[in-house]
Amino acid sequence: MAHFAELIQPDRVHSAVFTSEDIYKAELENIFYRYWVFVAHESEIPQPGDYCTKWIGEKQLIVSRGADGEIGVFFNRCRHRGAAVCMEEYGNASFFRCPYHGWTYNSSGDLVGVPYPSRYGDDFDKSTLGLGRVPRVGSASGFVFASMAEEGPTLAEHLGKAAGYLEDFVKASPQGTVSLSAGTSKSMFWGNWKFVGMDGYHTNFTHKTVLDLRQRKQGASYKRGAGNSDKSSNESWDLGNGHCRLDLTGKDKVVVGAASNTSIAAGIPDTADGREYMSLMTEAYGDDAPEVIRRSRDVHIHVWPNLQLIGSQVRVVRPLAAGRTEVMSYPAMLDGVPDSVNTERIRSFEWFSGVASFGTPDDTEIFERNQIGLQADHIPWLVLARGLTVEPQEDGSLVGNVTDEVPQRAQMGAWLRAMSDGPAAAADVAAHTEGEAR
Amino acid sequence: MTDMTLLGEVTEFLFLEAELADANAYDEWLALWDDQCTYWVPCNLDDYDPAKHVSIIYDDRARLEERCFRLTTGGAHSQEPRSKVSRVVGNIRVVNPNGEDGTVEVTARTIMVELRLGRKSLYAARCHYTLWRSPSGFKLRRKKVMLLDADERLGNMTFLI
Repeated sequence: MAHFAELIQPDRVHSAVFTSEDIYKAELENIFYRYWVFVAHESEIPQPGDYCTKWIGEKQLIVSRGADGEIGVFFNRCRHRGAAVCMEEYGNASFFRCPYHGWTYNSSGDLVGVPYPSRYGDDFDKSTLGLGRVPRVGSASGFVFASMAEEGPTLAEHLGKAAGYLEDFVKASPQGTVSLSAGTSKSMFWGNWKFVGMDGYHTNFTHKTVLDLRQRKQGASYKRGAGNSDKSSNESWDLGNGHCRLDLTGKDKVVVGAASNTSIAAGIPDTADGREYMSLMTEAYGDDAPEVIRRSRDVHIHVWPNLQLIGSQVRVVRPLAAGRTEVMSYPAMLDGVPDSVNTERIRSFEWFSGVASFGTPDDTEIFERNQIGLQADHIPWLVLARGLTVEPQEDGSLVGNVTDEVPQRAQMGAWLRAMSDGPAAAADVAAHTEGEAR
Repeated sequence: MTDMTLLGEVTEFLFLEAELADANAYDEWLALWDDQCTYWVPCNLDDYDPAKHVSIIYDDRARLEERCFRLTTGGAHSQEPRSKVSRVVGNIRVVNPNGEDGTVEVTARTIMVELRLGRKSLYAARCHYTLWRSPSGFKLRRKKVMLLDADERLGNMTFLI
């Protein structure tokens, strides 16, 4: 029987981590049903009574804003005989009524109505039969996280150094808030969820056509692939707790009319609206405005385990099986800016992201090829040794060249810690990894 | 009274467009489009203001050219190997023979079977075409493909829809 620790070596990882259904089940218990995971954004349920349905792993949730404005996260399951009480993705309701026998819950999850109550005894206590509640819910910069563990590190402790990047992301708005109001790009691929990471080494190869497109547009002045090589000053960061980021736009000059250096951030159009945006940002942030905008573009972070913020988009990862993953992506709209600035963000999103775009389909293709390749596990190890000798900074962060596998090792380290002290023990998993961790 | 001659011309054009898309004949397919054009595959809903809601595809002429360039320049891994697609275009109706600027508004349904790397996917869509009568025949000024699956999780949709 292989212990999880034998599957994660300092410079390599065992295929079973990505291919074993037993390990997938253990990940649900040890990571998704325990750690802080992103569930929704406050802007999805702005008003009292607003709700949305979401998932953590295989459990469906209702994220609901009660009459008092408080956000609760509930299991979508009638406490009577278990039918889902809500089938809409978004809505506003005073009550959730189970269609089976009419049990009714309010938007704070309390059981407020049971038809024909006389046939229950005197000790029947509705107050104990509210919708099952995810015990801990917290919010950071509008991003709502939930943890199914009654106790554990606080959200602030879990996010640690990642929290500042969530703040950077929303500060592209002069009001400091964003809205996920522009729809959801929904996708699924046939590969493991952990392939959706932060990788600065793949760009020039996986996204060869993106480089071709930029070269076509920019002509001879384009320094092809320069930002994504071992000679680049761009960086890869381990922020602790599995959170990691790439630093790609350090040299972006934020001026109206200039495109961003990255393929994934929208520029500020040289239009009346673009200039108005700059003036609104200057009103809000003073002389720091260009740097605030640069930092927001620069957000390219994985908040472990399931949230990514990249340029102007929010991406949420959900495992469906060892070899099957759902990715929900949202272009984040800036509050308090001219409409055309947000339109630019939508068009920029569609260029790189989404199932028919020019970027992410090639990532997804690689993830699916990974899954095929890893099944051929005669030699089961993946090598994650780039930049292995990077020294920690003063604040504990590890910072490597952009092509280093600092982020991958950060995530595998967090994975190993979570798996090793979780309720699903290594003894429960991986009969078929026996003897393979050699 | 349906203008059967016009319906015949429109049908011929839509069949040609479908054939070229199925054949991944990107350059010939691109040549069917007007210089001012919109290729729109809505996301989540069938209709909305595309300035305010994300789309699966919302290409103007420049981006449509980028799309075809990308698929022919080599290294578009999601189309290596290319999708094999077989589609049927039916229920073709001329809904406005005298549209704005001498255009013809047409609606139709498509059923597409896509096969790639052993996985077969089935897509259905309502389509709305705006065809401009150019001196050399119809050009696509606008094509809107309302997928039945617009609000579902989709896989690789990098073939011509």
